[in-house]
Amino acid sequence: MAEPGHPLPIALVMPGNVRAGQVISLVEITGGLGAKIDAQRLADELGADLAVLLPILDAAEMLGLVKSEKGEVSLTDLGIKFQKTSKNKLMLLKDKLATIEPFRTAMVLASKGKPVTAAQVADALGEYGIRWHYKQELNESLVKMLLVHWTIYAGLMSYDGKSGKFQKA
Amino acid sequence: MAEASSQIAAGAPIVTVNHVSLDYRGDKEPLPVLADVSMTAGRDEFVAITGPSGCGKSTLLRIIAGLTKASGGDVGVLGSPVTSPRKEITMVFQNFVLLPWRTSLENVTFALSSRNDLSDAQKQEKAKGALDECGLSGFENVYPGELSGGMKQRVGVARALATDPVVMLMDEPFSSLDDLTAERLRKDIYSMLINPSTSVKTVIMVSHNVEEIIELADKVVVLSHRPAHVAGEVMVDLPRPRNKKSEEFFGWVDKVYALLS
Ligand SMILES: Nc1ncnc2c1ncn2[C@@H]1O[C@H](COP(=O)(O)OP(=O)(O)OP(=O)(O)O)[C@@H](O)[C@H]1O
Ligand SMILES: [Mg+2]
Repeated sequence: MAEPGHPLPIALVMPGNVRAGQVISLVEITGGLGAKIDAQRLADELGADLAVLLPILDAAEMLGLVKSEKGEVSLTDLGIKFQKTSKNKLMLLKDKLATIEPFRTAMVLASKGKPVTAAQVADALGEYGIRWHYKQELNESLVKMLLVHWTIYAGLMSYDGKSGKFQKA
Repeated sequence: MAEASSQIAAGAPIVTVNHVSLDYRGDKEPLPVLADVSMTAGRDEFVAITGPSGCGKSTLLRIIAGLTKASGGDVGVLGSPVTSPRKEITMVFQNFVLLPWRTSLENVTFALSSRNDLSDAQKQEKAKGALDECGLSGFENVYPGELSGGMKQRVGVARALATDPVVMLMDEPFSSLDDLTAERLRKDIYSMLINPSTSVKTVIMVSHNVEEIIELADKVVVLSHRPAHVAGEVMVDLPRPRNKKSEEFFGWVDKVYALLS
């Protein structure tokens, strides 16, 4: 099944439990709180556990929206632009997202014109040892969630629930 | 769009609750839940109802929706009494149910199944419009099980919006969501509902979260302990979008807490 046929640089991997909406809120709250804020205070402001916040912070950092240095979080220029955009914010992240797994592999596989399933993407990534869960079934459903939650918003891919297939938007 | 409501002057009451009382039939004796509750919700007003746990908030909302009959008093919507569910009134529940075997689009279209005045194509068009209004364009063909909690809640709002309601009732719409997701939906919901392109003319939301209420509401109706009467009303005079960190904001939060204790 797997046929990525392209060398994988050190992979950026989206945490499986982070949703686009959470990253959007994080950016908004960070922006609203001023220049720099420490992660613990940010968690307090959100009424969230640090354990919940950290993966969201990772995702936001991976997307180039925030910087965190020595436990202090601030918005990047892209983050500021993102915060100011009112509609379809995720469109700003289209290019960034296409460099992060599992979106990157999904885009590569779909670029051959054929729609792909989450299982095909999960298999291809599994070849490189990239998994979100050790159980195949759960791993596939996490990949599917990630693809649904990010690529549609960003306008990278479209999804047909009936066939379970993704294609380039 | 709902023609009946376009005649109504700004600020005029859309929903009137007059001296409503309700006793539930208890095992031995009746349980008085609402005692003489009166309130109104005006045009383009976002009204929040709050009060101690178990005081009868959900019951009051169900009476306004025409789902439960009051023991005394009456409810009027657009000037006529509510005695049973009406098409101008819709409700979004805390954990409202989406049909898992239907896509988002099919779930929203389903709400329009009794609309004989619309062709299938028009129903689809309307449903797509409502999903778009709720920030879900692109998600038409996704099943509920593939959506996050916040997105499911948006489909629920879209489903309610598609029926062209004049009155939108919401019972704790954010309480099942994680903080970040709720934060995001709260930021969007006001403009999703109260904007010239929807038919909604008034929103009544039940919530126990006072900060959430001050973030959203134009008017807060505070109920007392059971049997509930109106302990007080607060008109929240704060510009939007509201700064949740400002001293002014907390001033309003305190006003509501003072009525709650
Ligand atoms: N169908 C019913 N029959 C009998 N008693 C009921 C019924 N529904 C609710 N009650 C009782 O009426 C009271 C008010 O209930 P209601 O659900 O309206 O309160 P609430 O303010 O919404 O509570 P909460 O804060 O928990 O959401 C409670 O004591 C409840 O147990
Ligand atoms: Mg209730």
